[in-house]
Amino acid sequence: MISLLRCLPLHAILMFLLGTSHCWVRSDDPSRPLGPADFASMLDAAQMKLVKIYGAGGLKGLESYQSGFFISDQGHVLTSWSTVLDIDKIRIVTHDGKKWEGELIGSDPVTELAIVKIEGDGFPFFRLNPNQKAEVGDRIFGLSNLFGIAAGEELQSIQRGVIMASTTLASRRGRMKTPYQGPIYVIDAMTNNPGATGGALITLRGELLGILGKELRDEGSGIWLNYAIPVDVVAESSRNILEGKTIKKPAEVVVAKRPHRLIDLGLTLVPNVLPKTPAYVDQVAIDSIAARSGLKPNDLVIAINGQRVDSRKALEELISTIDRADPVALLIQRGNELVSIEIRP
Amino acid sequence: MNRNQRSRNPLLKEEGSFGTAFGWTYVLFFFATLANPLCADEPKLPSPPVEVLRAQDQRIAAMELASRSTVGVFGTDGQGGGSGVILTNSGYVITNYHVSSPFGDRMRCGLSDGKMYEAVIVGIDPTGDIALLKMYGRSDFPAAVIADSDTVKAGHWCFAAGNPFVLATNLQPTITYGIVSGVRRYQYPAGTILEYTDCIQTDAAINPGNSGGPLFNAEGHLIGINGRCSFEKRGRVNVGVGYAISINQVLKFVGQLRAGRLVDHASLGFTVGSDPEGKVVVTNILESSDAFRRGLRYGDEILSLGGREVRTVNQLKNVTGIFPSDWRISLRYRNGEGVVDTFIRLPRLHYEGELWAILEGESKPELPKEGRPEGKGKDGKEVPDGDAERSQDSQSAPSTKSKPIDPLADRLEKRKGFVNFYFNRQELRRVVSLQEAFRFWKETKPVWNGKGNVLGEPTSMEFSTSKDRLAMLVGGKEWSIDAKGNWSQSIQNKESSLLLAGLSLFHRWHRDGPNMLGDAFYFGDAPIENSKSYFDVVQVTFGDAECRFHSDPSSGEIRLIEIKGEEDQDPAEIYFDSYQQEGERRWPNRVRLQFGLEPVLQLEVKASEWIEGAPVPLENATSATSTKKEAGGSP
Repeated sequence: MISLLRCLPLHAILMFLLGTSHCWVRSDDPSRPLGPADFASMLDAAQMKLVKIYGAGGLKGLESYQSGFFISDQGHVLTSWSTVLDIDKIRIVTHDGKKWEGELIGSDPVTELAIVKIEGDGFPFFRLNPNQKAEVGDRIFGLSNLFGIAAGEELQSIQRGVIMASTTLASRRGRMKTPYQGPIYVIDAMTNNPGATGGALITLRGELLGILGKELRDEGSGIWLNYAIPVDVVAESSRNILEGKTIKKPAEVVVAKRPHRLIDLGLTLVPNVLPKTPAYVDQVAIDSIAARSGLKPNDLVIAINGQRVDSRKALEELISTIDRADPVALLIQRGNELVSIEIRP
Repeated sequence: MNRNQRSRNPLLKEEGSFGTAFGWTYVLFFFATLANPLCADEPKLPSPPVEVLRAQDQRIAAMELASRSTVGVFGTDGQGGGSGVILTNSGYVITNYHVSSPFGDRMRCGLSDGKMYEAVIVGIDPTGDIALLKMYGRSDFPAAVIADSDTVKAGHWCFAAGNPFVLATNLQPTITYGIVSGVRRYQYPAGTILEYTDCIQTDAAINPGNSGGPLFNAEGHLIGINGRCSFEKRGRVNVGVGYAISINQVLKFVGQLRAGRLVDHASLGFTVGSDPEGKVVVTNILESSDAFRRGLRYGDEILSLGGREVRTVNQLKNVTGIFPSDWRISLRYRNGEGVVDTFIRLPRLHYEGELWAILEGESKPELPKEGRPEGKGKDGKEVPDGDAERSQDSQSAPSTKSKPIDPLADRLEKRKGFVNFYFNRQELRRVVSLQEAFRFWKETKPVWNGKGNVLGEPTSMEFSTSKDRLAMLVGGKEWSIDAKGNWSQSIQNKESSLLLAGLSLFHRWHRDGPNMLGDAFYFGDAPIENSKSYFDVVQVTFGDAECRFHSDPSSGEIRLIEIKGEEDQDPAEIYFDSYQQEGERRWPNRVRLQFGLEPVLQLEVKASEWIEGAPVPLENATSATSTKKEAGGSP
């Protein structure tokens, strides 16, 4: 018994020390090591599930392209929420070079994920298996259209790496600029390049482990973070988006009889000069409801009562559906932080 | 395995773990360790799995093999530094043009044997970013084993060897391992003439100084030449995206580089676009192009080029870019009537002299620097990674005192239009020396008379060629043609008598040697017709005519003489399809004249004689004057 107990931790230490070599066989079926041929065919199959996404941008260092992948055979494409999707006609290019017009189903302001749908069925897709976990030291592949290298039917770029850490993204002002503050995998490969966001992180056997995040740079150290959001977070967020908990466009606007009005709240938003002016707070009247609730100038309203707000117009439409007597839950982006605020009349 | 156990070192957690269930395990372990000091030495350590060790051994062996053929490229005083790879045991080295160009004509190569070897420039391909060097000092340089880069697939393991950041002060290359991220990548010119076509993308770290160095497959066989990275906002270091020029492309250019030339890439003579259905269709075509003469027209759909299927514009650009100019390759297209399979000659990408003008404009070649506006094209900006910091100067690599006399001075011959004409002479000599089997021609008398018939027909044929007169009698009709190379009108008229020109050139080449015919230089190599192998090509200016002699690189047999006419005309092609041997004598017994893809006249030569002096008039000929009697048409 003693020797058995003794051997257990010893084994653990050894496995820890052996690190990468251990992972060579550990990943799945230990009876058969994986060879290059396996990778090539597995990766070919994975490539079918990826799409290239083109939309708004192309200015001032903002890319107009990113990556995504199918999560259903019905044409649901999971990707990152970004300015690329801020356009009426999102162009999706599947692995065979076919062009599709995608419709934004919705997005999750917390995870910054979005789902775009194209018409059709029978698409090869990644299963969102929340139990698919990676451990530190596991080898992975990252697939994405980084730098927009692939066009048309050209296959996307493949990178290989190792999970360096499984941790929580500590984003804060002056550090990692992102509203997402959940679990992530940190990868030792340069996976998070321009256009790579929305790409797939997969195991050596082709199972989905996560989605490659947006470019993220620690402003303090200047270091770029290569990371992915784990599939369990992705699965939950996707479900929320599909169930309409974070619907982008309200299905039907029902104007309340006595709705909230911005003027009554003491809230002035930035002038509506663009087709989609972001809902930034310009001024907050002293002693107004807005001021008492804690709103401040330069706050960006992201969601109202859990519904995504992508423009000033959307905010006005949405708020006009809420009766003056009812409280309003706001999700605010203030600097790099997300703040929840409740307006109580 | 339990995650806690794996991700933490239990020894460090002893105190904190006392209260936990696991704690007791650790405590027991701790005391057990104390109690038995031999525990650590107990041979119970599970050895790593056999396949892991085997894979590691294979990897080490592949890297050792690969390291031997990897070189560091430096200036003659040891400054700068890029990488290269040994192509032949005789010491030919491939590197990037942007690595070699700052050094000019002379450089040094450091091998993993720890020695520096003097090297000289041979040829350059500025568009494809390739330079060929020749090292001296050994006769058994360790050449790389070359793989077929067309079989490389995304997901294959690969590794780069080279001299990033000029780290290798002991000349041992640095190895970076990765996978192939993508193949057949097309990278737009990045503000320079550089165009990377059909390249291999890898996530193996490619950093400044890796330029020109080799990319190997898992077996350590050469698949590409590293040269370019995507950088953008992260500075000029690896961002997980490097590009290698495929070795198959490089090998297509090596023959022309060995000729000491500045090599140009091919264009098509037509442009394409995608139609609404996604087909690649001709949007514009030059009427003077070979493709136009082969029937290609506006709106036709391109199906394949050079045997490779084309479904997108990028694919066509990729395939076009891997060929040197002047090569003739297969084209398949679809027009209103159906699918057409043909061959087209590829025109130059740059006009005559343009590349020289560009290079002279950049006495120091333009290397994109940080902060410099970068190339247009796709959003991912790619620039050559430049060579490593020059600031390290001569400290970075062993250097010998600069010698007053360049030891390789006689290996460098500057001549207008050539990078290094010394090597052209060598190649021309090689081609001629291969033709031992035709030695007897040197002793032949100046007039060559032949008899036979039109191939496959009873029609009899006689010909007589000499320095002054070329005449032929076919089925009672006599043809003659100018003997001094004034043939452009005949080429325009597609005259059958041009076959005589080919016979005469053949005779005089073997009798007097290429240099006596006119200005001769080695052009490089190229495929002919359907051949998979390449033929040595020597270009001779004979009179006004530009003639290209294609000879078999092993037997030395001349297979084709091409006589160029005006730019918009099909050249006359005279094929020597087979040879007859009688004792020491060996002459072509099947000769074919062709324009475009149409044979005009094919002769079977059954007897040959060589006689002295003025040509004896053909016996049956009614007239022996050299006036032109007939033009065109097959007998």
